[in-house]
Amino acid sequence: MDSTLIFYIAAIGLILIGIAGIVLSAHLVRIIFGIVILEAGANLLLLLATYREGAAAPIMVSGEFPASMADPVPQALVLTAIVIGVGILALTLSLALRVHRAYGTLDIREIRQRMEQDIAAAAGIDMPTSSEAPVPVYSSEEGRS
Amino acid sequence: MSKVVLLVALPLMTAFLLPVVDRVSQFAGRWVGPAVLLLTSVIGIMLWGELADGAIAIELGGFRPPLGITLYVDQLALLLAIAVTLGTLLLWPGGGEDRVRLSTLALLLAGSGSGLALSGDLFNIYVFYELVAVVSYGLIASQGTAAGFAATTRYVIISSFGAAMALAGIALVYQATGTLNLAHLAQLAPEKLDNIQGLAAFVLLLVGFGVKAELFPVNAWVPEVYATASGRVSALLAGIVSKLALVIIVRLLILVFHQPEALTVMLVLGILGVVTGELAAWRARDLRRMLAFSSIGQLGIMFIAFSIPGPAGVFAGLAVALHHMIVKPALFLLAAQWGGGTGRLAGAAKVSPLGAGLFVLLALSLIGVPPLPGFWAKLLVLLELVQQAGSLYLLGAGIILAGAVLEVNYLFRVAANMYQADGQTPGVSAPRGNDLAVASGLGMVLLAGVVLIAPLGATVEHIASQAADLPQYVQTVNPEALP
Repeated sequence: MDSTLIFYIAAIGLILIGIAGIVLSAHLVRIIFGIVILEAGANLLLLLATYREGAAAPIMVSGEFPASMADPVPQALVLTAIVIGVGILALTLSLALRVHRAYGTLDIREIRQRMEQDIAAAAGIDMPTSSEAPVPVYSSEEGRS
Repeated sequence: MSKVVLLVALPLMTAFLLPVVDRVSQFAGRWVGPAVLLLTSVIGIMLWGELADGAIAIELGGFRPPLGITLYVDQLALLLAIAVTLGTLLLWPGGGEDRVRLSTLALLLAGSGSGLALSGDLFNIYVFYELVAVVSYGLIASQGTAAGFAATTRYVIISSFGAAMALAGIALVYQATGTLNLAHLAQLAPEKLDNIQGLAAFVLLLVGFGVKAELFPVNAWVPEVYATASGRVSALLAGIVSKLALVIIVRLLILVFHQPEALTVMLVLGILGVVTGELAAWRARDLRRMLAFSSIGQLGIMFIAFSIPGPAGVFAGLAVALHHMIVKPALFLLAAQWGGGTGRLAGAAKVSPLGAGLFVLLALSLIGVPPLPGFWAKLLVLLELVQQAGSLYLLGAGIILAGAVLEVNYLFRVAANMYQADGQTPGVSAPRGNDLAVASGLGMVLLAGVVLIAPLGATVEHIASQAADLPQYVQTVNPEALP
């Protein structure tokens, strides 16, 4: 099998795994890991844009041109994207820490409920509910991991 | 080196020097930020005159396109750069105890926002977009409340997802064309991106940049963030930053993605945005979330307008965007003190007659009551929509009208509450003097727009036709390109 094809499958697989992690997880840290995997997939896709099997680095050594040279632009772009990603990862983890300190949980559904309560309390209105909303199966005190 | 670079460089440089300056002199630390933004705005306004002959392109570092990074300055880009600089100055958030950090963030927002507006390179746009995103996380979380941290965390998750989507879109574009310079892409696009890969790239970029533009499926952060952030930060994000992201999408649409399906995707998502935004605003019971949902609806109208092909669509969309850029910040400033449930606002007109009067004026323009500028903007969109072939465009026009009916209902409900006078003590205090002054200024601009609507319309039409001129963009950036 062509090695490029394997890389493409890996990139799209990583993207799908990352999206699934973001959408399906309830644990905040797992969601953040989902983002990391998603970004890794997108970075790999960007690298593959001009990938060539066995290409040399585009540096002239002793005046000779290699037969096949890699395009350095996507590599520079991915380097930038990785740096941005790491910075935002640190920021997100520190935000998660602050949320955990305030609410004592990392369950995203519970965080959302507590946040809605806080917003409603600050605004002086009742929690927004629908008359047709189903009765919650579990109470927020018991929690669910 | 041109003065244009200063629009980006001056605020960024000051942002990083500010903490040091503040150590040396607190007085300087307090005033250097606003002073630099004022200077930058003046530079931007002076540049406006130089654009009379047409757009200019700047090769950064002297590398010629398509290799180097290009800044492209037409009237639209410059207008947005001035708007973000002047807007940050007017809505300066760095007054409180956390002065140094907030001032730094505000300066970073002005610099990176200008960069986003002026950049003519797709990856450069991505980097500035991420910078704007990180700055806005900091500004939103700066309230220090638990709900604020939770809202920011949820916003970061959605925004990071969008950024990864945009990156994947950039990868698809680069894979097909081998360039990220917008002018070069515009040359190669008809040959290489007019296919399913191009469409996929557009949808990925639309979802990515749509997060900040409050596009329909990726806007879950809007109500929570605007309910927890300070009034000034909400005004900045809803008023100006959302337009920056929107204009990036419009630029990509004009220059690179010409498939009719791309316009249809925008139109459908815009319609869904208006429907969901206006219905949710109608149901909202506190003023801040009502304004947040209404802003989703207004952005939906802009997406519908920009999905009309040709310069006419750019003109109509730009008119709505500029109008919203003035009205929504003013409303959020009023909501800074009046943010709670709408029931609390009973008797607010007695506490602050000016504030309540301003709210009514802004609400009328937002709904689109003649002769206020909001009426002309909406009329323009509707007239263009009914001229288009295709029932989806007609549906869009119908939805905008239905949305206006809902807007009348919920905004007047609030206004009626304010003017209630049944002897009870009002539940709210007057808006702060600063906020009220800026909101009044924006209201005056709106009223001036009533008188000057004809020249204003001509100017916006000129800006739009220049922005929609693809050959001019290519020629300006790369004079050797074949016409």
